[in-house]
Amino acid sequence: MSGAPDDSGDLIELSIPVRADLVVLARLTAATVASRAGFGVEDIEDLRLAVEELCLSLVQNNESGRLHLTYLREDDVIQISCAFEREADQHSDGVSTSDDDDLSLRILDALVDEHGRDVRDGQLCAWLRKRRARVRNDG
Amino acid sequence: MNEIFEINETEHGGVPVVAVTGEIDVATAPQLRDRLLAQTAAGKSTIIVDLLGVTFLDSTALGVMVGGLKRCRESGGDLRLLIVEPRILKVFEITGLTDVFSISASLDDTNGATR
Repeated sequence: MSGAPDDSGDLIELSIPVRADLVVLARLTAATVASRAGFGVEDIEDLRLAVEELCLSLVQNNESGRLHLTYLREDDVIQISCAFEREADQHSDGVSTSDDDDLSLRILDALVDEHGRDVRDGQLCAWLRKRRARVRNDG
Repeated sequence: MNEIFEINETEHGGVPVVAVTGEIDVATAPQLRDRLLAQTAAGKSTIIVDLLGVTFLDSTALGVMVGGLKRCRESGGDLRLLIVEPRILKVFEITGLTDVFSISASLDDTNGATR
């Protein structure tokens, strides 16, 4: 993991092998980044689940390769990108087509402001953006 | 990595209760699936899954429970859930699964009352 706060926000990078027991690292990092950015408990929990779904949407049909996650905070927005790097002899495109994937999309739709998938440098990438909820001041 | 994940099995009025503690995610959901499959293989058509001790669940966990529900209903039974934690209930709500599962807040409510 690397990264340092600067004037443009915080950039954190995390690279993990595609292993079921390591996806927890992606959500732990999301929770830490969101907490540092002043997100509330509810938003942190939303982001924890959302980043899990982001990873699952790429790895469900794969048991090898790596996930490269980037956590970028800019003002009150956190953007998380997850790129799937195949191994040289791996043919799967990383896109899952199961019922679980439909559930993943519904969860992402509900929990984040924007999400999507694209191909960057030949790697399938899923991303999300979540804006920090404004604190209500009823007094 | 997921130290507190645990599954315990008991019975309530002759119905098996599969109680889960901790986080159900892509790493731990297969253990729950195996327990549900074992119950079905043992001839149990109705199962109660106790999620009162669950602190996190993802779409993999939902998929396991939907699979369990299908198997139970094919056998003429049902898969019922115990949930009180709003955070966990929210995941079922946003995926539309509160309309699919019988969800109760306690074992005593599982015979009739559902959300």
